[in-house]
Amino acid sequence: MTAPALEVRGIAKRFGGLVALRDVSFSVRQGEVMGLIGPNGAGKSTLFEIVSGNLAPSGGQVLYFGEDCTSLPVHRRRRAGLCRTFQKVRLFDSMTVRENIAVATRQSLPPGGDWHAEVESVLERLRLGRQADRLPAQITLADRKKVEIGRAIAGHCRVLLLDESLSGLTHDEAEELISEIVALNRASGITVVVVEHVLSVLAKMVQRLVVLHNATVIADGTPADVAHDPQVIQAYLGTQRSAFDARVVPDARQA
Amino acid sequence: MPTGAATAPRPFAPPRARLRAWPLVPLLLVALLPALPWVNNYILAVTVRALIFIALGQAWNIVAGIGGLLSLGHGVFLGLGCYVTGILFNDLGVPPWLGVPAGMLVAVVVALAMGGMTLRVRGVFFALATVAVSLACDQLARHYVDLTGGDNGLALTFLGTSLWAMQSRSPAPFVYAGLAFVVAFYWITRGILASRFGLEMRAVRDDEVAAAASGVRVFRTKLLGFMISAAMTALAGGLYMQYYQAIDPESAFGLGQAIQLQLPALIGGLGTAAGPILGGALMTVLSETTNWGASSFGLVGVDILVYGLVLLLVVLWAPAGIVGMLRRR
Repeated sequence: MTAPALEVRGIAKRFGGLVALRDVSFSVRQGEVMGLIGPNGAGKSTLFEIVSGNLAPSGGQVLYFGEDCTSLPVHRRRRAGLCRTFQKVRLFDSMTVRENIAVATRQSLPPGGDWHAEVESVLERLRLGRQADRLPAQITLADRKKVEIGRAIAGHCRVLLLDESLSGLTHDEAEELISEIVALNRASGITVVVVEHVLSVLAKMVQRLVVLHNATVIADGTPADVAHDPQVIQAYLGTQRSAFDARVVPDARQA
Repeated sequence: MPTGAATAPRPFAPPRARLRAWPLVPLLLVALLPALPWVNNYILAVTVRALIFIALGQAWNIVAGIGGLLSLGHGVFLGLGCYVTGILFNDLGVPPWLGVPAGMLVAVVVALAMGGMTLRVRGVFFALATVAVSLACDQLARHYVDLTGGDNGLALTFLGTSLWAMQSRSPAPFVYAGLAFVVAFYWITRGILASRFGLEMRAVRDDEVAAAASGVRVFRTKLLGFMISAAMTALAGGLYMQYYQAIDPESAFGLGQAIQLQLPALIGGLGTAAGPILGGALMTVLSETTNWGASSFGLVGVDILVYGLVLLLVVLWAPAGIVGMLRRR
């Protein structure tokens, strides 16, 4: 059996007396689209920063294709293909869309690769050609999010971590971005981990959901299974009513 | 699919980076200055001062303009360039041909030590450290009187016009030397801006966290930029020393000098290749004409007032400098 694309083992994180994460473990199969959800303050962002390398865990390990990368610096994770976006879009503001993507391309393209061609192909794939010579301030939020995804997948990307990429978008824009992400996953085999605090948008794209609550994993399974998990319902609504009605998880009732 | 490398667009030739012929006009004008009959030594001296001022600004622009690292103590590298060159020449008879590279080497080592300690943390610590090192150098230069001449500074032993000692009674040779420096630094700046390293520096300037997440080695990029800038400053310092023939702690490590070093790039346009040239030229013309005008009324030091005023205007109305104003039109 091949190693999971990403695995976290017994991750713990304390900030002084505050326990942000307690013994969090799960793995992401190669080629999977996985959602990581949880109410505000559940520890999603902390976990995300630990996986991408901006925070060191107090305990536990992060494995990337079976290899321990817990203490690998951020830039080396990116060059190895572990890529991310940011909750609040962080582009290089004085650089054009094309240059933004080129930065990452030139860092992570395998030796001998034509980075000019790679930049153009990323622009084309995300349909950003017309925005290529504009500055981030001159394009819409949806396009800025796309540029960030482009910057993340450019060059060499095997696992894409998306931090609330859909927040702040209109319904149509979110739909479009979801289809782009699904297409990336299908066409390039990129493993995707999506962090959201709202489940509704995720149900359409993910094959599996991990739910974080109070610093630990409370559910791990298909969206349908997770939606019926009493602990999840409790965590999200504090009542026994189903957290995810038929509108947001179409297959929840059919299952 | 693109049909091949020949048709692939060049992403990093921004529209304005095309070569134009007009910059050759001022270049030729300055080069011809010493040959013109009505040009006196005063005009030549001002030209040399301007060229040195510009070259120092170009060096600072690398780290502060392209890299976004606010070095408030670049006088350290100017001073090291001057003092090392001067001490080697006076005490050991080493010509500046070797003294200046030695000064550059010392500057790079000091930059490595300063950067190694402060560039891992963000922003203000680096700026403070550069100020602290300036103050320390100032004290050292004043303390070791035998070596540096103390408060009075260091004057080169003058051998008359000599290529070996890089000395000349007339300012004309320095016009050409200064011009060569400015042109070389201009091309170095353009080269960096167009390179992968320049792209990394700009990414780090805009957002360090996002740069790291894009695979950029942030610390190494900042350190390398700082060292390149230090070497260029010390090199221009060598020219400074040979032209002025003297250096003292205040001119090397003083606050006034530190601010002077930043003016050309700040006024001309941070992070651009042409900015320090335009800024330095404008400031020289302004300060010379106001000083000349004011001295007829018995006023001294009006140039400092002009510097302050222009800087204020730039900060308020043209944060992108002269280049930014030209581009906006």
